[in-house]
Amino acid sequence: MAPRLEIKGLSKFFPGVRALDDVSMSVEGGEIRALLGENGAGKSTLGKIVAGVYSRNKGSILVDGAETADLDEKAAGDLGIGIVHQEGSLVPQLSVAENIFAGRQPTQWLGQVDVRAMRDRARVLIAQLGVAIDPALKVSTLSPAQSQIVEIAKALSRDLRILILDEPTAALTLTETEKLFDVVRRLAANGVSVIYVSHRLAEIFALCHSVTVLKDGRLAGTRSVTETSTDELIRLMVGRDVHFSRAAAGRKIGDIVLEAENVDAPPLVRSASITVRSGEIVCLAGLIGSGRSEFCEAIFGARRRRGGSIRIGSKPIDPRGPWDGKHAGIGMVPEDRKAAGLFLGMDIVNNVAATVLSKVSSGANFSNRKAEALAKNFVNELRIATPSVRQIVGNLSGGNQQKVLLAKWLAMEPRLLIVDEPTRGVDVGARSEIYRLLRALADKGVALLVVSSDLPEVLALADRIVVMAEGRTVGELPGDGASEEQVLRLATRYTASVAEVRKEPGMAEA
Amino acid sequence: MQITQPMAENAEHRRENLFVRIVRRLADSRELTLFVLVIALALAMSIVYPNNFPTASNMRAVLLNLAPVGILVCGMMLLMIGGTFDLSVGSTLAFSGVWAAVVAGWWGWPAEVAVLVGILVGALCGLVNGLIVTRIGINALIATLGTLTIYRSLTYVTAGTGVTPITDAFAEYGRAADPLLRIQSPFWAMLVLVLVGGWLVARTRFFRQFYFIGGNPRAAQLSGIRVDRLILIGFVIMGALAGLAGVLGAARLNSAVVNAGVGIELKVITATVLGGASLKGGEGTILGGILGVLFIALIENAMIINAIGVFWQGLVVGLVLLFAVSLDRFKTSGRA
Ligand SMILES: Nc1ncnc2c1ncn2[C@@H]1O[C@H](COP(=O)(O)OP(=O)(O)OP(=O)(O)O)[C@@H](O)[C@H]1O
Ligand SMILES: [Mg+2]
Repeated sequence: MAPRLEIKGLSKFFPGVRALDDVSMSVEGGEIRALLGENGAGKSTLGKIVAGVYSRNKGSILVDGAETADLDEKAAGDLGIGIVHQEGSLVPQLSVAENIFAGRQPTQWLGQVDVRAMRDRARVLIAQLGVAIDPALKVSTLSPAQSQIVEIAKALSRDLRILILDEPTAALTLTETEKLFDVVRRLAANGVSVIYVSHRLAEIFALCHSVTVLKDGRLAGTRSVTETSTDELIRLMVGRDVHFSRAAAGRKIGDIVLEAENVDAPPLVRSASITVRSGEIVCLAGLIGSGRSEFCEAIFGARRRRGGSIRIGSKPIDPRGPWDGKHAGIGMVPEDRKAAGLFLGMDIVNNVAATVLSKVSSGANFSNRKAEALAKNFVNELRIATPSVRQIVGNLSGGNQQKVLLAKWLAMEPRLLIVDEPTRGVDVGARSEIYRLLRALADKGVALLVVSSDLPEVLALADRIVVMAEGRTVGELPGDGASEEQVLRLATRYTASVAEVRKEPGMAEA
Repeated sequence: MQITQPMAENAEHRRENLFVRIVRRLADSRELTLFVLVIALALAMSIVYPNNFPTASNMRAVLLNLAPVGILVCGMMLLMIGGTFDLSVGSTLAFSGVWAAVVAGWWGWPAEVAVLVGILVGALCGLVNGLIVTRIGINALIATLGTLTIYRSLTYVTAGTGVTPITDAFAEYGRAADPLLRIQSPFWAMLVLVLVGGWLVARTRFFRQFYFIGGNPRAAQLSGIRVDRLILIGFVIMGALAGLAGVLGAARLNSAVVNAGVGIELKVITATVLGGASLKGGEGTILGGILGVLFIALIENAMIINAIGVFWQGLVVGLVLLFAVSLDRFKTSGRA
């Protein structure tokens, strides 16, 4: 019998970039196949071609042995190919339910959309992912994690033969990830083939049957998970060994840089306090909806604060907007790089320059030369894979976009750098580079406040871990010697009341 | 990912013929496209109408007539780069002109003061627009559509049928011509604004912020750019420019007409979009905008020389606009 999906000699070119070069692979029905590779290796491109979003330059794609000639999104959907995009594809102005059933809304008499049926079905689809989101809410009011859930529900709303998941867990925490895995396993048991893109190797060993590695757009190898190891996969992917050990604790921790007390920014931040010292990396852990990002925004000035005090280096500040935070020496890398972080239509140079307009100017004049030099520096330092610093950021791969976002704030040389999810969608090699970079910043005396839902990341980076639950800081652990269980226990100690919060529609997961 | 030589080893790209390559190159720079089009059009007209087009008096008329639109395009381009726009410019123009005329003609104040009052009234109209958009948060289309009718109505209320004549001293502000080319002041005012504005917007750090705002307002805000304040400033600049255009227009005619500038906003926006602005924001240059104005002015001139009715003018300008914007599809930097 023919395999469910067979890709033969697939190639795709973008101007100046060979994203895929003669890639062949085949996936059986019911198989969960991981797709692995560095940032820019071509994973998303491959997924998009199979889902009919991009056209291919060469090669053929067979579904159940049948050649698919002109594969566009509609044709792919009709063939039962569903995709969850890495970068999100929802329409922010429409409701959750409308997004899930875009163009296929259940209808009643005279083709009227049957709103109630649509919402009920949406609710069921979302519920199987273990989350409650009101299907009537507008997508623009959702948090990144909630949007991700809706994306997944949208893909599940069809009769699927092939499901492509492009880094679906990047915005999710452990609980939702496990729910998603259950759903994926159930689909596979029913014969659906799944292509699963992720940078989290542990997930691949937990979920997938086999793994295909891409390197520089070429096939680097396909293995069965039982016959391979993390080290082998990393070598295939990166071509060298990568380690994530905690750095030796030789760093000198200095004076207090940030001191926030009883910060109150309703509805998500109730009473949160934190101190961060110069040269220290403090990680803020907690479940989705615990108010970590919102707490950081309140410190930076991006969210209105009702009470509490914030001091930077013993000087009280009252940030009324991000410019005040920036003026006080705070930088903040936001969680949602597409909506809040990057200028996707602009090139790398301008993105990096956005926070440091005065630095890349001579007098009143913006200096393209200085901005370009700055951008080149970061492209080299962070190893951003791009044909030139003039590349439009929207055309970079997700991981490389994340690096540009980081560069944008590193350029500002802040005293306190807040990083919300520093390695979302970043490959293992780059991840260790980002860790190295954050540590180097701390060595230079910068105070770092890192929000992360990735517990291994928290444990690898933190000098100190502060845990939040329900808008409050509920506990603190030393980074050295802490375990995932300890963090989780603190974060979930208040689960009873969390259930209460969930009843407020839309608030629970924000 | 492999970085290849641009377009190398790419069968599909190599198959592209010369024509597509030229279109692509042109599409990459709107200014270049327009510049080529303007030159081509001017040459063609010089050949076809050697007695009518390339004459000093025709040139003078063309340059003088495009002055108000040219002045307004500077402000509109700035706003559109920032992702917004102002429909009320025509009404602001008339309102400011009328106020300058009232101050000089009816009250007998010095002409200098009248000019200043006119510009200030324009800036004030812009300020109101800006406050409505940034503080109350009403969408610019609706806000300035509202003030478009309000300012026009206030113009009628202020001056009934208009102020004619104003005063000779005031008229001199719109009529003074340079000794060499003998082109009147509105053109020179526009030229200075385009040069200074072009430099400011292209080069200075302050105005560059508008590109970021247009590119992604939320990211700009989180990058520490004061989005609302800048948009407000943009509207004030737009208003002041409309005020200046109104004053100069009234002075040139020595008459403040209450119907001045009716419909000019569409012409201005057309030129701005033609010049490379996009409704999404984040793109465009003043140079492009003024080339857009020039291009439209040439087409109008051709129509007049040819004695083709004004009715056809809109058709041609509209087609050119659609053509120019559809060129964007060929941009190499666009998404696949
Ligand atoms: N629309 C586009 N225009 C130009 N280049 C593109 C476009 N889309 C992708 N690319 C380039 O193709 C290469 C492969 O990108 P792709 O998004 O497939 O990488 P990826 O493996 O998904 O990486 P990541 O792990 O960072 O998401 C990258 O170098 C990227 O810059
Ligand atoms: Mg990707």
